[in-house]
Amino acid sequence: MSTLDPAEGAASLPQGRRLAEAAAATAGAAAATTARPRRPRPRRPRFSPARIGIYAFLMICALFFLLPLYVMLVTSVKPMDEIRLGNLLAWPVHLTLHPWVDAWQAACTGLDCNGIQVGFWNSVRIVVPSTVLSIAVGAVNGYALSFWRPRGAGWLFGVLLVGAFIPYQVMIYPMVRVLASVHLFSSLPGIVVIHTIFGMPVMTLLFRNYYAGIPLELFKAARIDGGGFWRIFFQLMLPMSLPIIVVAMILQVTNIWNDYLLGLVFAGTKNLPMTVQLNNIINTTTGERLYNVNMAATILTSLVPLAVYFISGRWFVRGIASGAVKG
Amino acid sequence: MQNRRPGARTRIAMASACALALCGALAQMVAPVAAHAAEPPLKANVIHWWTSGGESAAIRQFAEAYDKAGGQWVDNAVAGADQARATAINRIVGGDPPTAAQFNTSKQFHDLIDQGLLNNVDTVATKENWAAIFPQSILDSIRVNGHYYATPVDIHMQGWFFYSKPLFQKAGIANEPQNFDEFVADLDKLKKTGVIPLALGGQPWQEKITFDAIFADVGGQDLYLKVYRDRDVNAVKSDAFKKVLASFKKLHDYVDPGSPGRNWNDATALVISGKAGVQIMGDWAKGEFSAAKQSAGKDFGCFPGFGPHSPYLVAGDVFVFPKTDNPNAIKAQNLLATIMTSPTAQVAFSARKGSIPIRPDVDTSQLDMCAKEGIAIMKDKSRQLPNPEMLISPDVQGALTDVITNFWNKNQSVDDAQKAFAGALKG
Amino acid sequence: MGALKSQALADVAGKPRHGGAHAGGGGEVTAARQRRPLRPLRKRWPLAAWIALLPMLLTVVFAYLGTMVWTARVSFSNSRTFPSNDFVGFTQYVRLFHNDRWLVSLQHIVLYGACFIVACIVIGMLLAIFIDQRVSAEGVLRTIFLYPYAMSFVATGLVWQWILNPSLGAQAVLRKIGFAHAHFDWIVDQDFVVYTLVIATVWQASGLVMALMLAGLRGVDDELWKAARLDGIPRWRVYVSIVIPMLGPSLSTAFVLLFVMVVKLYDAVVAMTQGGPGTASEVPAKFIMDYLFGRANIGLASAASVVMLLTVLAILAPFFYARSRAAARKDG
Repeated sequence: MSTLDPAEGAASLPQGRRLAEAAAATAGAAAATTARPRRPRPRRPRFSPARIGIYAFLMICALFFLLPLYVMLVTSVKPMDEIRLGNLLAWPVHLTLHPWVDAWQAACTGLDCNGIQVGFWNSVRIVVPSTVLSIAVGAVNGYALSFWRPRGAGWLFGVLLVGAFIPYQVMIYPMVRVLASVHLFSSLPGIVVIHTIFGMPVMTLLFRNYYAGIPLELFKAARIDGGGFWRIFFQLMLPMSLPIIVVAMILQVTNIWNDYLLGLVFAGTKNLPMTVQLNNIINTTTGERLYNVNMAATILTSLVPLAVYFISGRWFVRGIASGAVKG
Repeated sequence: MQNRRPGARTRIAMASACALALCGALAQMVAPVAAHAAEPPLKANVIHWWTSGGESAAIRQFAEAYDKAGGQWVDNAVAGADQARATAINRIVGGDPPTAAQFNTSKQFHDLIDQGLLNNVDTVATKENWAAIFPQSILDSIRVNGHYYATPVDIHMQGWFFYSKPLFQKAGIANEPQNFDEFVADLDKLKKTGVIPLALGGQPWQEKITFDAIFADVGGQDLYLKVYRDRDVNAVKSDAFKKVLASFKKLHDYVDPGSPGRNWNDATALVISGKAGVQIMGDWAKGEFSAAKQSAGKDFGCFPGFGPHSPYLVAGDVFVFPKTDNPNAIKAQNLLATIMTSPTAQVAFSARKGSIPIRPDVDTSQLDMCAKEGIAIMKDKSRQLPNPEMLISPDVQGALTDVITNFWNKNQSVDDAQKAFAGALKG
Repeated sequence: MGALKSQALADVAGKPRHGGAHAGGGGEVTAARQRRPLRPLRKRWPLAAWIALLPMLLTVVFAYLGTMVWTARVSFSNSRTFPSNDFVGFTQYVRLFHNDRWLVSLQHIVLYGACFIVACIVIGMLLAIFIDQRVSAEGVLRTIFLYPYAMSFVATGLVWQWILNPSLGAQAVLRKIGFAHAHFDWIVDQDFVVYTLVIATVWQASGLVMALMLAGLRGVDDELWKAARLDGIPRWRVYVSIVIPMLGPSLSTAFVLLFVMVVKLYDAVVAMTQGGPGTASEVPAKFIMDYLFGRANIGLASAASVVMLLTVLAILAPFFYARSRAAARKDG
């Protein structure tokens, strides 16, 4: 990484003296990433070819990013005859909300023709306990690792982090057998346990990093006042953890809602999450494909994480960034 | 603590306990009488993958017959055959086995037998005299170590040639082709009239079915058995097999560019609507024709192969019964086995599924022309040929499918394909 | 009591606990170095803490280490639908590398991975830099570029399958507009289908890279820009020589995240192409799942899993080692 030292880069420029000083000063501050407040914006530059170029590029990219959303929305309100005409981008002539109704309550996954609402409620039933449990476990772990630091826990944590990179396929079949032996396979508690296990590395990391920013003096004062492990946690740390809990919730709700593989294997036919139901509806039908219903179902499946994203906005980015910065 | 006489509260508690115990005892004496008067229906949790319109109508026949006989059918349909089998196996391993699970008449469930995870249905088999009724290839699949571990429910032939009669007329094809060269000539005639000669859905399993049909017809029964049953690599390396591969690849000239990824029923739809001439598919395709109100012999024709002695590839579905000691579950399993193989249920099922019944002693008047032809052919034991899945394990079948789909879709030479096939067959 | 309190005060007067910026792996090194010498107050074996860490202990031992060992064990056996206890050495690995479908999936994942990571980083970087130019409606633009990341891979795969459908999607639209011989049937083309996967997943993940880069860019002090303007250095030069190098940590984070996404690629393939046409978009994750469940050969699937695991570790381990070394050196 030494070749990317900004101070060196600055010094290599002919007139870079002041720049080099500024770069060196900034390099220390550059490591502080996400929590920085926005700097003030005094004036807006005038219109120049460069500005126009910037805006043009951004507009084109925005169109590319918006295209699928547009296609989804437009297709989901067209009747099938318009879709067969073959113009993906055409505005609907006869607007109809029937595909949405069908997708929600009448689309067939297997023999059940109850629509994707079944998957919606299954996903809710999976996401809520999984999020609560994984955040609880992550918070306790982060707290223990950060303040108490029992001997050897550091190594344990290191292995846990490495585990976050292991491809799921290595762990799936043994976990099937383990869950089966405790009669949790193909059940709601089973999939909740699985999500907790697989979410543990990131959650622990999040909370550990957050608690690392809390002054040790607070903790020590609480110990002196006679607080034990759990008392300090519940009365001192947990109330202070609200920001990071929000971030963790955003991360977990999005990740667990969007999960496909784990739900497919571990949830059992009665608890299939919405993503699995969606794939069943779209990719396993025989007969004519009802593209409008399929697109409506796709949007319905994406509604919850999109809503989380739109509502949380900056917290979402902060969550990804802080969960992602792995030292 | 001092010894005290039981207080009032204690005495009431003791009295209540005695009363409850008395009631319990009475209830137990009454219960058998009551239970006998209203026996709970035999619940059967059945996993299968028949989720399309025709298929679900077919299995509903079984469900209704079972319910009428005193059972309670709890349907557990899982979309996708691989998914359904995986679900069944995982549930069996996971300690929550279904009462019955669908598999193909194949080696797919033999691992379950080896692990002792299936109940046998010998009682039903002996009572119904399966050994005398079912075809040999089916018996070989369901009977392991002298015990019957699966209930066959249908016989499918996966290599029928369906063709559009109007298009054949327009192209000037008078008779069904009697050998492969005539077939190719007919495809040429269809091409000249501007329609798609061969409707194929470009999915690996469909390409494998097409290959197996050509293999059986062009290669002959002996070569077929040497390859699939005896796993003879020399048979694969022979010139005869090379001819089979070349014939198979020749069909690629007659398939339209929209073929890759197409679903099988969309390909059938091409034949139904007169856009394509021929489809090589299993007899389950008849469900699509009848859904479009087309009838065999008038709107579409069917032949099982080239010539009067063409092999008849036998395939099918079975239900296996996971091991359980629960006497009610065992009763349910036996009832299922009996109902599913009974003559009336068989006919009702076959009519909607497009298959032929597994027993010859049924009333076949409801069935269509192609099914009747199939039943007649099945009487000739020499024409019966087990389909590959009955002879090789699922992963070898998968590996061979990969080879075939590669050969079909890419510019691979016949020699390379031969080598790859031999390698995959060795396993 | 008095002794404890004075000890606490002495501790409070000491240096701050962690350098707040360092987190995770590198933090282990810094934490060890920053641990103060005398700690009679802190127990080395706090029972309550260990009880609280029990889930983590169980998870690491059983769910991570245990499954890895189990999978490795099965990969050395001839297991089919169920694990068997025999030992056949490296047979499964030999079979694996003679399996055409596995070899082809490896080719695909390498090709896909290279295209995906490069495209995401380039596009993400460009988007971040351009947005950082004090454009108006920055919030709207950021939302537009990042919303795809909130969608699941299954939804992404399905939408793009629809868009790239030859008869009803992009190709049809182009032909309707007037390009009568437009050819965009990549999704059914043996050689190009992998690129359709790249398109769909780059659409989904570039926003993430943009967000990471933007966070890093926001950490660049205004003093830098002022100094550059005073020195008369063109803006683009500043970017190329100074700012982008400064984004090193963000870039490496992005690389790690993208790499993990490449290895885990399964949902999008299943939703978009089902590995087809034929085996033209087969990827290792799907190969393993198919052999685990559909084709009932867990011995071969386990061998493939072990190979995948070793590859991931082989690529990430030196990476993390270099990062922790760099972090340690920065503190030194």
